Amino acid sequence: MEKKSGFSQLSRRQFGKLAGAAAAGTILPGYALRALAAQTADQIIPGKSAQMLIHNAKLGVMETPLTLLRQYAHTPKEILFCRFHYPHEGNAAWYASLNAPQRDDWTLEIDGLVARPRTVKLADIAKMDQVKRVSVIQCAGNGRSFYAAKQKVGGGQWKNGGMGNVEWEGVPLRHFLAEMKVLPAASVKWLTAEGWDQPATPEGSDFSKSYHIDDGALDNAILALKMNGEPIPAAHGGPLRLIIPGYYGNMNVKLLSKLMLMDQQSPSVFQSMGYRFPNRPVEPGQFKANDYTLENSRPTYAHQIKSVIFSPLPEDKPGSGAVEITGVAFNDGTAPITSVQVSADGGQSWQAATLKAAESPWAWYHWSAKASLRPGQNTLMSLATDALGRSQPLDGLTRWNPRGYEWNGADRVVITV
Amino acid sequence: MLRRFIAAVAIALAPAALLAADRIELPAGPNRDLVYAKCRTCHDLQYVKESAGITADNWQALVEDMGQYGLRIPDAERDKIVKYLVTYLGPNPPAPAPAGSPSPAIDGAAMYARQCSACHQAHGGGIANTFPPLAGNTDLYRDRMFPVYVVLNGLTGAITVKGAQYNGTMPPFDHLSDAEIAAVIGYVRAAWENAELRPAGFVDVDESAVKKARAKPMNNTEVHAYRAAH
Repeated sequence: MEKKSGFSQLSRRQFGKLAGAAAAGTILPGYALRALAAQTADQIIPGKSAQMLIHNAKLGVMETPLTLLRQYAHTPKEILFCRFHYPHEGNAAWYASLNAPQRDDWTLEIDGLVARPRTVKLADIAKMDQVKRVSVIQCAGNGRSFYAAKQKVGGGQWKNGGMGNVEWEGVPLRHFLAEMKVLPAASVKWLTAEGWDQPATPEGSDFSKSYHIDDGALDNAILALKMNGEPIPAAHGGPLRLIIPGYYGNMNVKLLSKLMLMDQQSPSVFQSMGYRFPNRPVEPGQFKANDYTLENSRPTYAHQIKSVIFSPLPEDKPGSGAVEITGVAFNDGTAPITSVQVSADGGQSWQAATLKAAESPWAWYHWSAKASLRPGQNTLMSLATDALGRSQPLDGLTRWNPRGYEWNGADRVVITV
Repeated sequence: MLRRFIAAVAIALAPAALLAADRIELPAGPNRDLVYAKCRTCHDLQYVKESAGITADNWQALVEDMGQYGLRIPDAERDKIVKYLVTYLGPNPPAPAPAGSPSPAIDGAAMYARQCSACHQAHGGGIANTFPPLAGNTDLYRDRMFPVYVVLNGLTGAITVKGAQYNGTMPPFDHLSDAEIAAVIGYVRAAWENAELRPAGFVDVDESAVKKARAKPMNNTEVHAYRAAH
C-alpha cells in the first residue's frame, strides 16, 4: 500500500510540459469557474492536491484526507497539511509555493541577552554537518471538530488530517548555538524562535514561540533546511524551519528568521494566549477561551499519545466478513509505543494489534489487526499505550478545552456494512 | 492519475482562478455586512462558517481575542458583530427572514467607515505595503466604471498606486446593494480632496450603472486587465 514517491514520480520536465499544455489549451470562461463550489488547494498553493480539505483559503489552511495520507510512508509536500496565521498575499505571496524558496539572501539572527549577537547566512548553515529526523508533524488543532460532541469550539474544524510523517534534515540546534559562541548571560532562561511572516495589520501580534532553555526536546531539535530530501518548500516553512521532533506543529517555527535568548518568554499572543492547554480539566462555560494565563495553562508543546485508524474508512465501503484494521500511532518520542488495542465492536472487546517498528522515536508506528465486520453498524476503535504507561483517554471529551487543542481520544470509525 | 494531474495543473494555471472562498455566504441578518467588511481583512469567512454553532460566550471571547491579532474597531461595532454572530451563527439560529424590508437612506460616509476603513483606513490613507490608499488615488477616475468593477468583483495582483507597489487581494464586496455601492463610490470620489482629481464633465455612477455591472461578473484577471487598459 505504501509508496515512497508518488507525486514526485513526475519529473520536473514532465511537469513543465503538462503545465505548458495546460496553459495553452485551457482558458476557462469566468462563469465556468464561478460555478465551482469552492476553491481547491491547488488554486491556493500551486502543486497541492485538489483533494485537500480547505479550512481557510486566504491563509492557506488545509488538511489531508486520510485516504491520501495513508498511501505514503513519508507524507509528500503535495498532500501535507498546511497552516499559516497570516494571509499569503502581497509581499508574503512568495511563501504560497511548493517550490524551493529562492532566498539566498536569507539570514538567521541570534540576539537577546548575549554578549555577541550574530547574523548567520543560510549558506553558512547549509555548510554545517546535517542530521536527519523523521518526525510526525501535527497541528495542535488536529481533531478539534471531535470536541463538538461535548461543546463545539471556535476555529477551523479539523478532522484527523492535520498531520503527516515527514523526514527533516538540518543542523542540530544545540550544536549550532554552541558553535555561534554568542556568550549568553547567566540569566537566560528562554529560547524564542520567530518567523519571517507578519500580521495582516500593523496592530497584530507577531508569531513567535518560546521554549525553556533546558527543555530536553531541544536536544533533538534541528534548524531544518530539507524536507523529504528537498529544500523545504516555502509553504512548509522553507528555506529554514525550526524542527523540534515530537512537538506540535506550531512549535516548529516556519520561515525561521530569529532566535532570541532571553530571561522571559515572548509576550506574543501566540505564546501567551493562543496554542495553550489548561493545567486542570475544565468544563464548558467554566473556563473560557480568553481565560488562559501563564499560570493556569501551558503551551501546546509535546504530542499527546495518539492513534488514528487509516483503514477501513467509510469511503472504502468494505463488505461484511474478515477485514484488516490498520493505522498509525505516535507520541512525543520520549518512550516507545508498546501497544495498540483495537476494537471492532465499539469498545466491548479489545485485541492487541501487531506493531511495526517505527523509523525513529518521533515517527509514526504502523499497526494492524484482523477483525470481522457484521452487517449493520460497526464501530472500530484504537487506543495506544507507551512504555511510560501513558495511553489515550477512551473518551477524548474528558480533555475538552475551549480552544480545542491536543485531541487524542481513542480513535473511532463507524463503518456501515 | 496523470489525467487528474493535468486537470489540477490546468486549474492552477487558468488565468481566471476566481477566489471562490471569498464568496462564502453567511446567513442574512442585521450587521452581516460588518462581518463581511471587517473580518476578511485577515482571514476569509470559512473560519466564521466552520465555527457556526458555538455559544454566545465563545463568540464574544473569539471576537475580543481578534483584537490581539490586529482587529481595530470601535466597541459599538464589535458589539454589533458579536450580536450578529451569536444570533445567526449561534447554537439556535432563527429561520431565514423574508427578504424585502425597506432599506433606509444611504450615507456614503457611514458606508465607507463601515465597509472600507478596516483596510483603507479612516481617512483613506491605506497601510504602506499592504492596503493602497484611496486618498489621492487616481484609479478612482481611471474611468467611470472601474471602481464599480473593483467593489463588485474584488482586485488581485500587482498594482502601483501613488508610486508605491501593492500586491494583495481585495475580496468582492458584492454583498452591498447597487445603491450602496453607488453611494460609497460617490463618497470616496469626493472625499479627502479626491474631487480635485475629477476630470471635467465626469458623470458619477448611479444605482442602474452598478446593476448593469453586477449582471456581468468579472474574474480577477479581467478586473486587473481592465485596469491596465484604461
